[in-house]
Amino acid sequence: MSAHTTTTPADVHGHVDTGHIHGHEHHHEASWLETYVFCQDHKTIAKQFLITGIFWGIVGGLLSVLFRMQLGWPNETFPFLETFLGKWAEGGKISNEFYLAMVTMHGTILVFFVLTGGLSGTFANLLIPYQVGARDMASGFINMLSYWFFFSASVVLFISFFVQTGPASGGWTAYPPLNGMRDVAINKGSGLGFDLWALAMTLFIVSSLTGGLNYVATILNLRTKGMSMMKLPLTVWAFLFTAVLGILSFPALLAGVALLEFDRLLGTSFYLNMIVVNGHLLDYRGGSPILFQHLFWFLGHPEVYIIILPAMGIVSEVLAVHSRKPIFGYRAMVISIMAIVIISFLVWAHHMFVTGLNPNLAAVFVLFTLLIAVPSAIKVFNWIGTVWKGSVRLNPPMLFAMGFVSMFISGGLTGLMLGNSPIDIQLHDTYFVVAHFHIVMGVAAFFGMFAGVYHWFPRFYGRFMNDTLGYIHFYVTLIGGYAIFFPMHFMTGLPRRYYTFANFETFNNFNFLTQFISIAAIVVFTAQLLFVVNFFYSIFKGRKVDVERTSEDGYTYGNPWDGATLEWTAPIERIHGNWPGEIPSVHRWPYDYSVNDKPYISQDTPLAPGEVEHK
Amino acid sequence: MLGFVIFALVVLFFTVLVLIGKTNELSEDVAGKGMNYDAKSRWNGYFLLAFIILFFVSIVYQFKLLAPIMIPKSASYHGEQTDNLFYVTLFFMAIVFVLTQFALFYFGYRYNQGVNKKALFYSHNNKLEIIWTVIPAIVLAVLVVMGMRVWFQIFDVESRDKNAMVVEVTAKQFQWMARYPGPDGKFGHRILDTAHINPNNELGIDWKDPNSRDDFWADKLVFIKDKPVLVKLGAQDVIHSFYLPHFRVKMDCVPGIPTQFYFTPKYTTEEMRDYLKELPWWQTINPETGEPRWKTFKYELACTEICGRSHYGMQKEVVVVKDEAEYNEWVKKQTPIYTVPAPDAAPADSLKPQGPATTKSDKETKEIKDKKEKTEKDVVSVLTSGSAHKSSK
Repeated sequence: MSAHTTTTPADVHGHVDTGHIHGHEHHHEASWLETYVFCQDHKTIAKQFLITGIFWGIVGGLLSVLFRMQLGWPNETFPFLETFLGKWAEGGKISNEFYLAMVTMHGTILVFFVLTGGLSGTFANLLIPYQVGARDMASGFINMLSYWFFFSASVVLFISFFVQTGPASGGWTAYPPLNGMRDVAINKGSGLGFDLWALAMTLFIVSSLTGGLNYVATILNLRTKGMSMMKLPLTVWAFLFTAVLGILSFPALLAGVALLEFDRLLGTSFYLNMIVVNGHLLDYRGGSPILFQHLFWFLGHPEVYIIILPAMGIVSEVLAVHSRKPIFGYRAMVISIMAIVIISFLVWAHHMFVTGLNPNLAAVFVLFTLLIAVPSAIKVFNWIGTVWKGSVRLNPPMLFAMGFVSMFISGGLTGLMLGNSPIDIQLHDTYFVVAHFHIVMGVAAFFGMFAGVYHWFPRFYGRFMNDTLGYIHFYVTLIGGYAIFFPMHFMTGLPRRYYTFANFETFNNFNFLTQFISIAAIVVFTAQLLFVVNFFYSIFKGRKVDVERTSEDGYTYGNPWDGATLEWTAPIERIHGNWPGEIPSVHRWPYDYSVNDKPYISQDTPLAPGEVEHK
Repeated sequence: MLGFVIFALVVLFFTVLVLIGKTNELSEDVAGKGMNYDAKSRWNGYFLLAFIILFFVSIVYQFKLLAPIMIPKSASYHGEQTDNLFYVTLFFMAIVFVLTQFALFYFGYRYNQGVNKKALFYSHNNKLEIIWTVIPAIVLAVLVVMGMRVWFQIFDVESRDKNAMVVEVTAKQFQWMARYPGPDGKFGHRILDTAHINPNNELGIDWKDPNSRDDFWADKLVFIKDKPVLVKLGAQDVIHSFYLPHFRVKMDCVPGIPTQFYFTPKYTTEEMRDYLKELPWWQTINPETGEPRWKTFKYELACTEICGRSHYGMQKEVVVVKDEAEYNEWVKKQTPIYTVPAPDAAPADSLKPQGPATTKSDKETKEIKDKKEKTEKDVVSVLTSGSAHKSSK
């Protein structure tokens, strides 16, 4: 694929694939290692990201089940925990140190390894080349590297569970000085565990950057003939801006973490000043712990959009296909993605209203934070408008897409309270925040991801996932997700990351509720295992996609959802180079559904005589 | 064994579900229905409608069940304004929430493929889109303006009462050190260098400053009703966050960077109890104390920034007294920190960091129930020895 890195856009648009024909007729016998492990094909890399993401999803979910057990039953012991966790759960009771470690790792794993790597990595890789009409990514090799950096990051992070002092335990936000001094007396997780965390994050950032550069290059340069930017499906728009966000913001985190490690390992004082431990003034002078927060949230806030934008793109596509209607307000959708991307760089300090930030500065961030609700609201209205008067096919991908919209509304609205600094004084770092971000970027992003998996499973494997299991998965997750997080809004004022509330009369009234939430969490986690079972079962035994026609050279074609985008014009067989012959050229926008008395018109269908192109 | 049984049951349960799923698929294929979603859409339409109705009902139920348990009304003046802002936002939110959620699920039900065979090709409507851009923008602008008015009132340094009471709170793992200026109303200076900061004088108080001689450590924070208070905040080791939930006060304590929060308490502890006495939930008996809940109500100080293993244990009681007289009476009972010879005479070389605080309470988890007694003991030892804090062992 490397030849593509040097081809000019004109070449690609003109299909001058001289000297490097990607059709099946030229592929050499790839070894097992090249096919499944060090593979440069975007479809395989997408699967690798997805399956690694599923692995991390199970680990991260399991951690939440464990700490929910502590929160739900603070006075009980669970002897089997000692069997698995050893000294971290002596006598069957999770220690307060390991509780924080689990909370920290749960956050890190879910935010970065599942909802960034697993979500964006999977679908950007699968869909960008298919939907823009490219043989593969701009650089297959760099794309492969992106996955293997992600894999290495995963290995390092996983190893950190097994070091003597335990994994990082100072919160996924890694604030110094708690994480800024390599002193296990202050915080056990600030020892080797945190160094491994920092290394894993560094590898992850490299993965994200190499991946992101590739996505941008592919979308800008390798679009097929006729595929103007305004003919791109919204998924591709979302991936493009996600990649841009990542490229611009992840370096800030890398710098932040690098300086943090300097403080920890080399004795510098970037983030440390006048630290007194046990009555002894340490030698750090002149740093600022708040500086790290600025660097962290300069990534951290765009990061939530890095998570949610791909989900939004997927949902836009899925809602349109299964409502059998064009997405409502395509242009407004594109513009609102752009607006979200730009504004998302100007809101980071809303995580820092009570750090002693200059109140005047806070005002600016309040303004932009509430402003970002406008494009978000437009998107919500347009999604609902898409369902309106559709012929809605209520199958698992569609249900999950609707669940996404529901979660995004519920979680997004509470953002208006948190983003308003005077209200945030009380709500900051309490369960209200936990409810807010879990609904809006945790559960919602998962719904987007599930919608994508159910929808594009036929594209991945030529089979469907079982829909009965999909329905069970959906309803348990929808009801369970709300059962876990909606009541947390009423725990307003209860600090998060508390091992138990027993020390406070003020916070100690919600025992029955924490138990209820814990039970709901266990049920929802089990339902996700059902999804995993369905996923792997369907790879081998799922219902096959109906073959609509077979080409002369033996390829079969089928369009399982009657989708108008290019990925369904490729054969059901997943071949290197995606299309056996020429790449289809594009003549119309991606949302011609229920038009001219046809269920859909594929993007590669030329305009009929007299037909006006949709603008 | 039990674990194995549970595991086996889960596996069995999953197997059954997978078989049901497969059977459904096969029976559809046999009936020649294939991937037809007409009937399924109709069923799921009903489910979606049922879901949204049940969801709304459950929210009403949650309000009924949980709202009385929530942290009660604000005990400070500015907190009433932030609460008010919360409710105004909630009002707008509720409207949007109900309309959009209902529309979403209702459309799913009303237009599902089982009943609506033909979708309408309708790609955009500029007028509509402008309306639903402008209306949220206006509402949000109103919220920003309202929010900023309250915000700048809270942090308006100019309008602050110069005679406000000042309390200095320094946080460290895992304790709050509250220093009061004593009867003279003036704090002794602190000198932040290795010559002054040592285990017996963690804040580096300058004992040569006469104002320092009557400063005292308080086992609880005492404020006066209607008297503005400026809390000066700091931290020793890591970031903590000073949080008074009943007063809507929160501000991070950052090592090396002083912060502060200015507010005015509105209700004394007694007045708050009298208010809660009238509320049904607060009249119920607390099984732990055997008394009605309102009777043992107290204001509390908590930490809201993750600060290490015993983050959840950083509790301190807060009391609001009715007037200066009651406050002065309390002050009179306190013992100054300066009750032993100035500890800054210690030789310089003994002031070097002695390595990490490895002896710190590893047993904190188990001791959590005795914590209250412990805190009191700590305070006693502080008062008698003049040191800020004995480790909680």
